[in-house]
This record gives sequence, C-alpha cells and structure tokens, in this order.
Amino acid sequence: MRGRSGHSGPSVSTDAGTRPATTATTTPGRIGDSPLRPDGTLKVTGEFAYASDLWHDDMVWGVTLRSPHPHARIRGIDITEALTVPGVTAVLTADDVPGENAFGLEHADQPVLAVEFVRYEGEPVALVAADHPETARRAAARIRVEYEVLPAVTDPRHAMDDDAPAVHRPGNLVRHLQLRRGDQSVTAPVVVSLDVEVGMQDQAFLGPESGLAVPAEDGGVDLYVATQWLHVDQRQMCLALGMPPEKVRLHLAGVGGAFGGREDLSVHVHASLLALRTGKPVKMSYSREESFFGHVHRHPAWLTYEFGAERDGTLVYARARVLLDGGAYASSTAAVVGNAGTLGLGPYRIPNVAVDAYGVFTNNPPCGAMRGFGCVQAAFAHEALMDELADAVGLDPVTVRQRNGMREGDRNITGQLIDSAAPVAELLQIVADLPLPPQRDADADLRALPGSVGNTTHGEGVVRGVGYAVTYKNIGFSEGFDDYSTARVRLEMTGGEAVATVHTAAAEVGQGLITVEQQICRTELGVERVVVHPKNTAVGSGGSTSASRQTYVTGGAVQAACVAVRDVVLARAAASLGREVSQLRLDGEKIVGASGEVLTGLAEVLGEDAVEETREYRHRPTHAIDPETGQGDAHVQFAFSAHRAVVDVDVELGLVKVVALDTAQDVGKAINPDAVVGQIHGGSAQGMGLALMEEIVVTDGHVRNPSFTDYLIPTILDMPPMQVKVLEYADPHAPYGVRGVGEPPTISSGPAVAAAVRAACGRPLRRVPIRPEHITGT
Amino acid sequence: MREFRYERAADPAAAVALLAAAPDGAFLGGGTNLVDLMKLGVATPDVLVDVRELTSREVADLPDGGLRIGAGVPNADLAADRRVRERFPVLAQALLAGASGQLRNRATTGGNLLQRTRCGYFTDVTKPCNKRSPGSGCGALEGVHRNHAILGQTIAGSDDPATCVTTHPSDMAVAMVALDAVVRVLGPDGEREIPIAELHRLPGSDPSRDTTLRHGELVTAIDVPALGMPSRYRKVRDRASFAFALVSVAAALDVRDGVVRDVRLALGGVAHKPWRASAAEYVLRGMPATEASFAAAVESELEAATPLRDNAFKVPMARNVVVRTLLDLAGRDTERELA
Repeated sequence: MRGRSGHSGPSVSTDAGTRPATTATTTPGRIGDSPLRPDGTLKVTGEFAYASDLWHDDMVWGVTLRSPHPHARIRGIDITEALTVPGVTAVLTADDVPGENAFGLEHADQPVLAVEFVRYEGEPVALVAADHPETARRAAARIRVEYEVLPAVTDPRHAMDDDAPAVHRPGNLVRHLQLRRGDQSVTAPVVVSLDVEVGMQDQAFLGPESGLAVPAEDGGVDLYVATQWLHVDQRQMCLALGMPPEKVRLHLAGVGGAFGGREDLSVHVHASLLALRTGKPVKMSYSREESFFGHVHRHPAWLTYEFGAERDGTLVYARARVLLDGGAYASSTAAVVGNAGTLGLGPYRIPNVAVDAYGVFTNNPPCGAMRGFGCVQAAFAHEALMDELADAVGLDPVTVRQRNGMREGDRNITGQLIDSAAPVAELLQIVADLPLPPQRDADADLRALPGSVGNTTHGEGVVRGVGYAVTYKNIGFSEGFDDYSTARVRLEMTGGEAVATVHTAAAEVGQGLITVEQQICRTELGVERVVVHPKNTAVGSGGSTSASRQTYVTGGAVQAACVAVRDVVLARAAASLGREVSQLRLDGEKIVGASGEVLTGLAEVLGEDAVEETREYRHRPTHAIDPETGQGDAHVQFAFSAHRAVVDVDVELGLVKVVALDTAQDVGKAINPDAVVGQIHGGSAQGMGLALMEEIVVTDGHVRNPSFTDYLIPTILDMPPMQVKVLEYADPHAPYGVRGVGEPPTISSGPAVAAAVRAACGRPLRRVPIRPEHITGT
Repeated sequence: MREFRYERAADPAAAVALLAAAPDGAFLGGGTNLVDLMKLGVATPDVLVDVRELTSREVADLPDGGLRIGAGVPNADLAADRRVRERFPVLAQALLAGASGQLRNRATTGGNLLQRTRCGYFTDVTKPCNKRSPGSGCGALEGVHRNHAILGQTIAGSDDPATCVTTHPSDMAVAMVALDAVVRVLGPDGEREIPIAELHRLPGSDPSRDTTLRHGELVTAIDVPALGMPSRYRKVRDRASFAFALVSVAAALDVRDGVVRDVRLALGGVAHKPWRASAAEYVLRGMPATEASFAAAVESELEAATPLRDNAFKVPMARNVVVRTLLDLAGRDTERELA
C-alpha cells in the first residue's frame, strides 16, 4: 500500500547499499519493505495508550506551581495553607530536592524547583500531590510566593549590552561560534545582503507531557514517561534525586510526538519527588496551556547575511551573523549555535567565509531542540539570499543553486570533506522537472483557493508563485560527542515458532523506529516474528531520538546484535552440518545454503536454547571545531533535500494557498519506504507551518498564545498533496547505507514556500511566519 | 477552577428564577466557551443552570417566510437546515465558517451569540483586562493586538478603566446582525424582544458588559425575518480553517436594473460587537451596482476606523473583502437566485 491518493510513492534510483547474500531473502517484512507498523491501527482507532493514559489504582496527582513573572526574586514561599486542603498529600519546594537542585541537557543550570530567582514565565516553583488533580490545583493556588519583580531581559538583540541585567553569572552569552575560512579581505563584483527574522516555533506535539512515577520497595522509583532519551533523563534524575542509576528506572510510555520538545526534562524529577515523598504512585499530566510552558521551543533568530559572487553567480564569499534567543536556561542552545554556525550557509561551495553565531540568555521561554536544530532558521536566510543573488546575476533560482551546489569530494565551510553523496544539483533538477500543478480553473473548489472555505476569493486577486530551496543537515550528534546506541537481541523457539526479541532503549516517538528494528531483525535473522521489548533503562543507552539518528545509530546496534546472534547460531549449525559458516545463512526460519537450499530448521539448531547478544554501535567519531576558525570535522553525516513550492497568493487579502510542495531527498537507503515518505510529509508540513502561521507570540517575557486555538498549526486544508522523490545513494560509512530522514524536509520546505510567496507578491518578506499584512504591505 | 453548583430546572421560567436568585451564576448551554473560561479562571460562576435541554431545538417557519430558531438548536443543525441554506445562505455559511465540526455539534444558537472575546489579555488572569477585571486596565492597547478592533473601541490609555479594544468572536452573530434578527429573551420580568443590533454593545465606559442582557435573562429563540435578497458570508483568517476571523463580512444585496435597491452589510472581527455597516448601506442604496460604488460605500464606513499600532492592515482588508463580496452578489440575478 505504498501509493496514496494524491501522493506518489518513493522512486528508487540506486541501491548501492545492497548487502551480500548473508541475509534473508524470503522472510516478509525485511528492510526495503513497508510492513504495517504495530502501533498504527491502535493510534488510528484511538486505542493506543499514550503517557496521558497511564493509570495506577492507588495513584495521586501531581501539579506544578509556576512563576507568573519572567524575572523575579523569591522573597519567601508559604505552603501552610496549601497543606490544609483536604486530599493533599504533599507540597514540595526547592528545600525538598534531596540531590543537586539542577538539571540540563548540556549544562545543569536549571533548578528542579526555583531557588531565590525565577528566570522565565512558567518556571516551576513548587509541587503539590493530591487525590484529585483539581484538588492539587486548588492547593497550589494557596501557596503564597512572595516575589520581588526584577528587570527582565526580553530583547535578545540587547542581551549582551553592558547595561543588560544578567540572567546568569557571569553574563548572557551562551555560546559564540566564530568561523573563518579563506581570504577575509576578498571582494566580489556582485554583492547581495539581507536581514531575516524567524519567529519562535513550537513543536506542537499532540500528546502533552505526562508521566507516572511509582515508588519501589528498594527505595528507588520507576518512572513511566513520554520522552526522547531515557538514559539522559536518568542521568539528570539521579543527580537531582541523589540516587544511583539502579534505583532510578525509566520506562518509555506512549509518546504522542516529540520533535525535540521532549529532550529536556519535564515531569520526570517532579513526579519522582512526589512519589518518593508520598509513597504513592504519582501521575502528572500537563494541560495544553501548561505544555507551552513545560518544554523548550525553537529559537527565534535574527540573521544578517551577505554573499559576494562573480558575475556568473559563482559564490566568492559569504558573511553571516546569527543571533539565537536561548531564553532563560542553556538547554541545547550551544549545540544549536553549533549547527547554525557550521551549517548555516547551506549546501554550497563557498571558498571564503566569516560566520559569527551567538546564543544568548534572556528571560524569555527557554529554547532548545526542535526538528532541524539551527539549520531551519539559517535556511530562511541563505535561501532568500540565494534568490537575491539569482536576480542580481540574471539566473533562475535553480541554476544559481546548482552552480554553487556542494558535491561529493568538496570541503564544507568547516573544512570537512563531504565523503559521500551530495546530490544538490540533482535534487534541484528532480523537483524542477516534476510536473507543475495545473493552472487554477475558473470553477476551482474553494478548498483549492487562498482563504479556502472562508469563501474569500473565487480567483479575484490571485497570483501564482513558484519557489525553490535546498538544504543540508547533519545527522547524529556532532562536535566530538560520544554518540552510540545499544541493542540486545534474543533468538529462541516459542510454541514451535522462531521468535526474535529486540531490546533497545531508543525512544519510539511516532517516527516508526520499532518497525525499523523489526525489519532489521527479520533481514538479519530470517525470522518473521520479532517482538520489540518495551523500551526501558534495563538495557544500555539508545541515545537520543533526535538529530535524525535512530535508524542510523540504533539501527546499527540492532544490526550488530543480530549479526552476533546469527554468528552463534550459524556456528552451531555449521558444526552439526559439517559445513563452513560462510556457506550458511538464515532465511524463513531455516538454515539455508549458498543457493537457498534448506539444510535444516532453526528449531533443530536452537532446541530449547535462547541465543542472546548485546552490542553497542558507534558511528565514526566527530571532532570539536577550532575555537578561532571554526574549522574541523564536526559532523558525521550530511543529508540533503530540495523542495519546490507552488503557491496561489491572494495579493489583495494577503492569503496563501500552497498548491504544491514537491520534494526530492537522498535517504541513502529507504529501510521502510512508507515511513520515509511519512517523515517527509510531516517534516514538510512543519516547515510550511513556520513559513506561514506558526509562532509563539512573546511580549515582555510573557507567552501570549499558549493554546491550539491561538497558536496555529497547519490543518489538512492548508497542506497540499505532495510529490515525493526519494534517492538512495548509499553512505558507505552507515549501516545499510542509510542517511537520516526526519529533519531535512522541515528545513527546505519553509524557505521554498517563502520564496514562492515572494515570487507571487513581489515583496521581500524578510520575516517568518509571513502574515497577510506582510503580503499586502499594509 | 472555582467550585460551583450545577442546577437543572423543569422549564425555562424555573431556570430564570434559579439564576435570578444567584447573582454570580450563569446559564450553561453547549459550554464550549464558558467551560473553557472556567478552566482558565476567567469565568467564576458559583452556580451553573443548565439550559441546554430546556430551550427549543426547533427551527420553525414564521408567517412572513422568516424562521424562529430555538436557542438550543446546535450550530451544526442550523447550518444544515434546508430552509436556512435556501433562504439565508449568509447564515449557513457563517455557521460553517466558525469553529470545528465537533464544536458546532455542541454549541447552541443562543450560546453562540453570547461568546466572550478571544483577547489574550481577557483569557490570562495574570494580566490587566477591564472586561474580565473592571478597572484593571487594558493589556492589549499597547500589547499584542494584531487581531483586535479597528472600529468603536474605547481608547483612553492602558490604565484607564474604560479602555477596551477587543473584538466579538462570533461568525453567526455577524450574519444575524445583517439579517436584522430579533432576539427573544425570558427574564424575571417576563418576555421581551431585542433587535439584535441592540443586543451587543460597544465597550463605551463599561467594557465588562458584552450585551444589553440583564442578569437572569435567558435567550429562548432568535427570529430571522424574510430577506428577499441573495446573501453571502466571507471570512478572512490566518489559516484555512479552525481560526477566528481577521475580518469577515455578511452581505445581502438586491440589484434591479443595475441599481442597488437594498443592501445589508455587517462586519466581523473589527469591533467589540458585530458591526452593522449602516453608513455604507446608506451610501449604497440607489447607486449603480459597480465596483466604484461599492468601494466608495465601504470607504465611507471605514473612515471612522481608528486602527491600533499593529492592526491597520484590517482597514484595507475589510475594504477589499467587502467590495469582492458585493461584486459577487451583484453578479447574481436576484430574481433567479430567489426563484
């Protein structure tokens, strides 16, 4: 069921990742197939248990009291009245944090519960547990916090001013990445420049933060929670709870989307503290409004870019300054600055470069990881500027990009060799050659027009525009991070059937990793039935479900564990059959010979035994960049994608209908083609959302639209059918040749949409999301 | 959420009596707006008197060709009613332009008229808002007000107790205003009829009051008189669906021999109440049905606009959408459309 109405299936143009015949060829549901995902039907029918559905008969409910101020000193907290509310079982403040009152992904700079200061609106100050969530909320309202409101830093452009209040000691700079390459005094005959501003996007996952902490007899705690990386959560929880890892056990609950918003802790320590205090299971589940304060957002950005080029459009130099608002705590700001700085000029060959990327502290909501991670903001700038360059030298947008596009064998702006496919020109050509949508007909359905069922136009004032964008994104963790994953695979006979069990701690957040794990096991072990063990910390770390890395890194670990299991099984078989191991493989629950002839059954070889192996997989090491020049092999893999957007713009009312959003992407190897296309659809929609409507509005440190009524994400009426073309240029360094899939479409779709709207309305549109008043210039 | 009592009554009169005795109480219809506001702590009734099953869910014919719409008729049912679709397309279109299918199934006709504003300062109890907390000031005047009013605001400084710059959120009410609907209410002193133009009010010196209803008065039905003109609703918003209006227009136009014989025009998203564009209607009657006439008419209405720092775009947006809607209607043959 690969084809969907209005969508083309992936096309496979190369398959350099084909394995030698050591793997199964007949077992259904192998890599390259698109077996149904086990959670799919449950989710569609509403039966899937998300973290917010967690239940324990004896549980109590936890709620969080949060700061109403962006910056204030806490003069005192009086919990007396809250404790008197019938049904309340615990009220906790910073004094009740047994370990270190600090957490953070990269720097433990964020208090579990505020001490002395609150630094953003929504910062947790106190916790309440009660027999009913409403009881807990009412008790929390009776906690008296005496605040002394302090001046707040709310404009990141002034966060580094001498007179700006310090959000933290010693100052408000999180990271400055300085990158210099080539001749810094070079000039060029054609110079184009611009300033771009990107608003604050929310991950807008549909399942709000939820978890259930269950106190254990050993004095520890079991936490069931929706998250992206169980082990990094565990590490931070151990610090705050003052407990060793064996007493802090995490279990992945049903995750309703993540997109980076679950990388930082939410309910984890809070629910555990309440559970340990009350001796009862504690459930915490944020409302939609609280969720907007309960996770980090995409950094808003201010970008100043300049390109110098020859008259034929060949880039001579690029200069860029990127400012990211990190909000009140570090979260992953430093790594986002790393991406914005090292990748922020796009997939182009540029000999002379100067980039300065800054992340700053403010008293705005903390910002951190979100799909595309620093590349999204930068792409709006480098792609808008590439169109300016095209205009300046008289080229079309595709040609100017192809002329400057990165190729395999090039070095990027940090001097890193691009040592696998970099099909920038080809991706652009593919989307340029795809059929354009037909011209609008006179009797077009309202849903096909700007304003849609609002009935705002029947074609009056509508102008079509086309825009292109191309991007690249690092896959996996960068800049020297020890990035690995662990897998445990077990093979045994159960009820006469061979069953493989795969156990990793890698979080399934909706992207389809559990299906990928099954497919790899089927391929390597030749058994159809693969049980995915619940994800927990009883196995080694799977690393983060982020940076488009799980199919690559956890996929690599599952493959390695499978191969280890297979080696054991085949060695046994070889011994009993009197053959060479190299002549045997597993397929269809049998031991088969080189030409596929059945030699014996798996049941005969395994007997009552289970074969179990655990392996870690590491991708090639990355390295820190030089602090002065930004040069170095910072990244392990790059993924490329291009989009072509076609829009109809009502230039009188300022409304946009995206008519087509077509894309081509190199995925190395499509392990699960349906899932690949699904990722590309979703990522493209999220990028389009930022281009046209998604923005958390923050004024003076206050979030003004914390609801899905007021924070707009695209509906199905806003999203066009897509033509998706998938290239498979295997990366020889990656398992099966895979290349991360999830993020690139989020990066290139938005700039393509913005370019198309610019083309239609003729205005520069230097800020996203683009609003009707920007299009009409009113 | 404040604790409250939940009451049901035997009939509308009993419900009115219950609420009249509860100065901090409120009627509960579909609850799609009130319950949200209670969760946010914006509405804090101590008694809810459930009237959803008490008021009529019938749409009945009136002798003149109009309709009497029970206050309990769900928005979805009203939008689907064949008589509404045939006689009052503007009303059916306005209903379908509002909210989502799920909400329209739940929301009632009476409750839709009485929606509270979506102003972000009104819904945030930690911020000043003269509507929610009289005398506390207005956060929106100098704050986020991109989707606020351009007509009829009270602008007297952020700290002034009269200042209010917000809009009425309903689509349906805009159509009802263009249709000269009459709101039938039952109060402690008996029944009365309120022309809809007199139901919603401008903030004036008391932004806390959205309508002229008195405490305890229950909307029982809305009478929509016969129209006799083709009509349309158009709604401009930030995404294709599930969004409040930036600007909307409810219009009806009767053109004979190229001349405007009659016109009804109301705007949504521009004022504290659905805005009847009486000045534009006055200018347009008797004029040739041309783009120039339509533009001149709406411009005369918008001369009174006092846009805020960030919402001046609504003035040309309103102009353009009105002109388009009238041109659309003028292109239709009145006789044939009504046949």
